[in-house]
Amino acid sequence: MKSKGAIFLAIVVVAFMSACGGGSGDKEKKGKFAPPPKAKPMTYEEAQADWKNQKGRGPITKVELGELDAEMAKKGEDIYVLKCTACHAPDKEKLGPAPTGIFERRTPEWIMNMILNPEEMAMKDPIGRGLLMKYNTVMANQGLTEDDARAVLEYFRTL
Amino acid sequence: MRSLPKILFILGSVLLLGTFLSPIWRITLEAPQYPKGITMYIWINKLGGDEPGTLQNINILNHYVGMKMIEPESIPELKYFPKVIIGMALLGVIFGLINNKKLWITWGIIMIILGILGIYDFYLWEYDYGHNLSDEAAIKVPGQAYQPPLFGSKMLLNFNAISYPYYGSIFIGLSLILSFVASFLKGKQDIN
Amino acid sequence: MRSTTFIFALLITASLFIYSGCGNGNSTGGAMSHSSAAEKVYVAPGEYDQYYEFFSGGFSGQVTVHGLPSGRLLKTIPVFSVDGEKGYGFNEETKPMLMTTYGFVPWDDSHHPKLSQTEGVHDGNFLFINANNTPRIARIDLTTFETTEIIEIPNSGGSHASPYPTQNTEYLVAATRFSVPIPQKDVPIDSYKENFKGTFTFISGGQEPGEMDIAFQILAPGYDYDLAHCGKGVSHGWTFFTSYNVEQANTLKEKNASQYDKDYIAAVNWKKAEEYIAQGKFKEWPSEYYHNYYSDKTHTGTSTKMKGVKVLIPSECPGLVYYLPTPKSPHGVDVSPTGEYIVGNGKLSADLTVHSFEKMLAAIEAKKFDDEIDGIPVLNYDAVHVGTVEMGGLGPLHTEFDGRGHGYTSFFISSEVVKWSLETFEVVDRIPAYYSIGHLSIPGGGSMKPWENGKYLIAMNKITKDRYLPTGPELAHSAQLYDISGDKMELLLDFPTMGEPHYAQGILASKIMDKQVKFFRLEENEHKYKALTEADTKVVRKGKEVHIYGTMIRSHFAPDNIEGIKVGDKVFWHITNLEQDWDVPHGLAVMGANNAELLIMPGQTETLVWEPKAEGVYPFYCTDFCSALHQEMQGYIRVSAENANTKMKWRLGDEAFGE
Repeated sequence: MKSKGAIFLAIVVVAFMSACGGGSGDKEKKGKFAPPPKAKPMTYEEAQADWKNQKGRGPITKVELGELDAEMAKKGEDIYVLKCTACHAPDKEKLGPAPTGIFERRTPEWIMNMILNPEEMAMKDPIGRGLLMKYNTVMANQGLTEDDARAVLEYFRTL
Repeated sequence: MRSLPKILFILGSVLLLGTFLSPIWRITLEAPQYPKGITMYIWINKLGGDEPGTLQNINILNHYVGMKMIEPESIPELKYFPKVIIGMALLGVIFGLINNKKLWITWGIIMIILGILGIYDFYLWEYDYGHNLSDEAAIKVPGQAYQPPLFGSKMLLNFNAISYPYYGSIFIGLSLILSFVASFLKGKQDIN
Repeated sequence: MRSTTFIFALLITASLFIYSGCGNGNSTGGAMSHSSAAEKVYVAPGEYDQYYEFFSGGFSGQVTVHGLPSGRLLKTIPVFSVDGEKGYGFNEETKPMLMTTYGFVPWDDSHHPKLSQTEGVHDGNFLFINANNTPRIARIDLTTFETTEIIEIPNSGGSHASPYPTQNTEYLVAATRFSVPIPQKDVPIDSYKENFKGTFTFISGGQEPGEMDIAFQILAPGYDYDLAHCGKGVSHGWTFFTSYNVEQANTLKEKNASQYDKDYIAAVNWKKAEEYIAQGKFKEWPSEYYHNYYSDKTHTGTSTKMKGVKVLIPSECPGLVYYLPTPKSPHGVDVSPTGEYIVGNGKLSADLTVHSFEKMLAAIEAKKFDDEIDGIPVLNYDAVHVGTVEMGGLGPLHTEFDGRGHGYTSFFISSEVVKWSLETFEVVDRIPAYYSIGHLSIPGGGSMKPWENGKYLIAMNKITKDRYLPTGPELAHSAQLYDISGDKMELLLDFPTMGEPHYAQGILASKIMDKQVKFFRLEENEHKYKALTEADTKVVRKGKEVHIYGTMIRSHFAPDNIEGIKVGDKVFWHITNLEQDWDVPHGLAVMGANNAELLIMPGQTETLVWEPKAEGVYPFYCTDFCSALHQEMQGYIRVSAENANTKMKWRLGDEAFGE
């Protein structure tokens, strides 16, 4: 009985901690400057060498790639043409890199996070930061939904 | 010093001319939207304000309640008061040279009478401006007159009107005091 | 049992600790409580702000004046764009102000407000601002807060690095942001490298109203010239311009102009230029440009078409221009208060590059040149570079200074202000900006004497997002006020701004407030169509033109009934405001007018052109609430058929006149 109470309280404590952590975004908004982490952040080169484990930062933690879904890929191509081709060509570098062959250097999760969360990726992800330095600009957030991004990912599989 | 009373009396007469150096009366209108107030100065020979447009601004305000325009050209006193002052100063110098106590006292009494008449005349003007209102005024407040006070302050609708003598009047006062001091000293000399 | 109670207690304590730790995190993050920030920006009703801060209105083309620390908007000054509110660019008197060689230009993009300087200190006489699109510089008189002079800059394509005055406002400067064929000609765009050029322009007459003129221009390689600052103190006599697109790309510049590691800061020795001008070593080009001047005596603007500029060619004038290599497309170039350091803000880099003026002179003396471009020596980087502020952030744009030995740099990409030491070039503090800061301003921080050694810093942010109540797709740009008087910068206030402020400059209120013109004296009015008393009012027909000489005073127009106007007439409505008191403007609006209102200051005369298109009786009225009888301040104007024989008549009350 009492031990159940202890567990309950422990949960409360964890909730407080997570509330505190969850508030960190909010804190930044109100003027908190987070000091740079003591540990040296991974460099672009280090992260690139380890790309198979780099999932980036954002809402996507796991993507299952099954059989190629042609319908979804077509939808993804339409979205890509409408929202991405001002800066990206499918098979050559324009203002940003080409998606052809992207699965040989990026994980599906990383790709979707880059599409969905480009600002944070450019600031905090070691590969994203490296790309910012290379291309001199933060990729525009085109407001894709997760389903849209997933469809674009499917299109990339056809390239 | 035998000539002291004479010097004092002549000095007093000449001091009258000081009224040309500074206004003799000041009327200030205060209201919230005029943080510094609007101040009109009455000189012996002219009307003025703390800014060149003051008289026009007062007239603009006054016209809403139907008061007449204050136009210096239409106030004859501004033309003959300077002559009276210059005349009295001259007369004083002549009386001083004649060196006669009775003449001096007479001069002083004339000055007092003229002063009282002047203030009464000022009051009449104030009364006329304050009461003689146009029937076509945009703002009519039954029973309200806009006569500013002679001395002191008074609320006229949203304005607090404050009226007091100004530095020019000090010259008249000094002049009077000197004439009586001179007469007094002269009287003592004559007895001795 | 006891032990469980103990664990309970421990957990509760721990949770409280964590909770309070969380709260502390917030308050140290803001570095101060809300109430103390509120006190610092609170200006009680009836009290004055301590500073005037002049913001560029960006793509509104205007200037806005705010008070600091409150952030309150005090005034919008129309400069390069028409403004219906004030009738600017609509009334006949101000239309000439917007004349250019391209005709009447009703809009521009205003960028950098700069205060006039005497001995390197803001003197409060004038404010200058540049038009980026159709290159011009305007003067705003700080006794009237009116635009009184605009000069067009010839041989330029977009004027961004402007107006940046010299130490005593001997010159204002400009440089072309977009290189173009100079002089203009019809060539293929692909012939950029061959045909396109840049110019540096020096404009004289900054301290003499009505006397602004193009003193000389210097022809430069066809790069994009971005920003400038003039030397001061030790570096007085020099002006520094940043360049990018040394690649000389003419398409997809966002990529193609960002390829090289280094671009250049051009150092121009303008005292040397004066010598070359005096020696006659210039080319006289027949370039045309407009000079527009507004007089507060005639209350009228006059446009004059000027012709001919003196052009210096660097290859013919040794010692005139040098290039300082500077990493990664430098945006702002800022000169420290003593004039010793020249800070290049490489906008695509993480670092700030600091050059030394002293080293530059030594390098020139020792001829440490790496290259020469169109006769301009490129100085060796190591010979001029004195320090780098490392990893300051990402995307440095602009730097200003306090009087305590610090630079403050805005970082666009990492969205923060970084404070660094002018002695050690080390970062000493940093604070976020919300969001994506462009320019920053410390009152006096670009001069030799920051006011109060630097008390406030204003961030001008490019992105607003969630800072205010949402207002549809377009949001006001946001400024932020920081207190920089202590060791740590503190965010005090957000306030919205107009257009996109591309800079702001502040000055102690006491330097300006006591010399404000409160109204114009009627006896000094020299307007061609003035009517100084109601007895002077009249209506005069000259063929199809009708000139109304009218007046206004609380609360009537004279005349207020006008007849005899005909369809097809062009009515010039000249009105003089007879008031002689502060803060009593009157307006004039007439039904169906195709322009705007007039808003006439006391003692001023303005003219509205009205072309009635149909018969009828049209009301007109005063737009600016002037008195208890303001609503009655109105009149009628009768319009008859073109062939009618209605006599010209006008009246006010019992006073009626006519043909």
